[in-house]
Amino acid sequence: MTRATDFTETEAMICVVANMMEADKSYWVVGGGPPRIASLLAQKLYIPNLAASTEDGVIAPQPAIPLQPLMQFVSARASYRGVAWTNMNTVCSHASLGFFDYGLLATLQVDPYGNINSSFLGGDYYHPGRRYGGAGGANEIASMCWRTILLTRQEKRKFVKKVDFISSPGFLDGSPGARERAGLPADSGPYRLHTPEAMFGYDEETRYMKLMAIAEWVEVEDVLAKMDFEPLIAPKVARLKPPTEEELEVLRVYIDPAGVTISEGDWIHL
Amino acid sequence: MQVLSSGIGEFRMPDPDGHRAYIREHKPRTLINKVMTEQEAISKFVSDGDYLCYDCNMIMRGPSSLIREIIRQGKKNLSVGGRFTYVIVNLLVATGCVSHIDVGYMGVGAALTRVLDKESKITVTEWSNSAMTMRQLAGSLGIPFIPVRFLSGSDAFHYSGAKLVKDPFTDKEVVLLPALNPDIGLIHVHQCDVYGNARIFGPSVSPVETATASKKVIISTEEIIDTEYIRRDPGKTTIPYYLVDAVVEAPFGAHPGEVQGLYNSDADAIMELFQACMEPSGTGLSQYLEKYIHSVATHQEYLEQRIGLARLQALKQQAEIKEGYYL
Repeated sequence: MTRATDFTETEAMICVVANMMEADKSYWVVGGGPPRIASLLAQKLYIPNLAASTEDGVIAPQPAIPLQPLMQFVSARASYRGVAWTNMNTVCSHASLGFFDYGLLATLQVDPYGNINSSFLGGDYYHPGRRYGGAGGANEIASMCWRTILLTRQEKRKFVKKVDFISSPGFLDGSPGARERAGLPADSGPYRLHTPEAMFGYDEETRYMKLMAIAEWVEVEDVLAKMDFEPLIAPKVARLKPPTEEELEVLRVYIDPAGVTISEGDWIHL
Repeated sequence: MQVLSSGIGEFRMPDPDGHRAYIREHKPRTLINKVMTEQEAISKFVSDGDYLCYDCNMIMRGPSSLIREIIRQGKKNLSVGGRFTYVIVNLLVATGCVSHIDVGYMGVGAALTRVLDKESKITVTEWSNSAMTMRQLAGSLGIPFIPVRFLSGSDAFHYSGAKLVKDPFTDKEVVLLPALNPDIGLIHVHQCDVYGNARIFGPSVSPVETATASKKVIISTEEIIDTEYIRRDPGKTTIPYYLVDAVVEAPFGAHPGEVQGLYNSDADAIMELFQACMEPSGTGLSQYLEKYIHSVATHQEYLEQRIGLARLQALKQQAEIKEGYYL
């Protein structure tokens, strides 16, 4: 494993997430983008039989990479070598039963309690600044997987005190039992939030977002400067490992050779 | 049952007995030949004001040729179940076909960015992808609602038609979604006989729920096969004939999308479609609609005059993955 020195922010985030994926756990992964790429990288390098299923109900595929843009699920290549081709209601029922340990999601905006917005930015519901696709499949993933893992960019406009619209639930108002009172499965909810520069968790007592680790090329205050609220900070903030050359090769040559996802963000030179 | 909170979104009230009465009256139980052209099928079975659902989208095994025919015929005031879609809702909104959208994921496009404006006459109700397919499941079970463990707590719930109630059995909170029985369901399949016994190979979104819950069902199919093949291998039947009202033979019917095991998606054509949909002024989309929909009379003409044999053959060759489909 050779430590890499030149990579994009998105590559750094994807590699951190891929390294944390677990062979004995199951994942429900949203459509495309960084969550999907991270699970493909983990599968290619570390966990060939990764139990990562898709929104549309393909169970644990071993996709024929590279996937074409926009065709990261329901396509023949994306669904290749799954153990079952089910459908949206079937995979949803498996989540409802508690079969999925982790949900892997991206978001436009997140608040301190891990509530996420993928519906619109700016304005109000009837006069949105910019309308996006909607809750999509993220709502059921964030509601019913045991733990939700979120990927986004470290930007002030993304880490906000209050999201413009809760498309998918985090800890809601953060009060004890808020998810259960809303009818969501007990003991589920946000778990980790990854950006290229940091990894957050949530305080067990207060369910408030907590900074747990940062990338090598930033300090804590750099991360805080890119947030609209101040998170809790772990007593000892760990350092995240940068990508390895092997990981970058797999990403760039096999998984995303067109750079559709991994080329996003600034370049980091260590 | 105690209702704790209710979404404020508009939705079509479930009517299981009304649906049963429709089925009793209108769905033939005998094997009758239902093959017709896409013009006949859309003009006969899609009415202005209908609630429309489709399986998949214009990139993956969606009923692209039927969607184009709906636009060609200029249907009006459709309600659309916009789940798991990329540009179909945008196309239908841009062409003035739509008066209501139920949002799972309604996709992207310049026309959609304006639908929530006060001036817009289009109503929008929020759900999620699985909320929409679960509503179809309830509709396909003939029941008025279905309890689920998601959607609540969110603003999507507030702008939906769902309810949070105390479960009368356990006294715990649970979400109820109203059943959805669309007027018209469109499904593109790999194979189908003349009666409507249809086969889908490969992954899908909710083809069975869409076909079962809808009052009227149009199947477009890559090929029409003899019923003898259906009877020799009934395990392969995805949709039995009496759910189906029309069978349209439409090779490459999902173009520009792919049909798994048969042909790849047409990357250039998809890019052209997306660019047309995203272009803010709408002139790009007008040109697209004229070129690919209004200036051709049929799907056959679309294939022959706008796409061409060489390109279609190349898409077939590019579909390298055969496992699980025809092998």
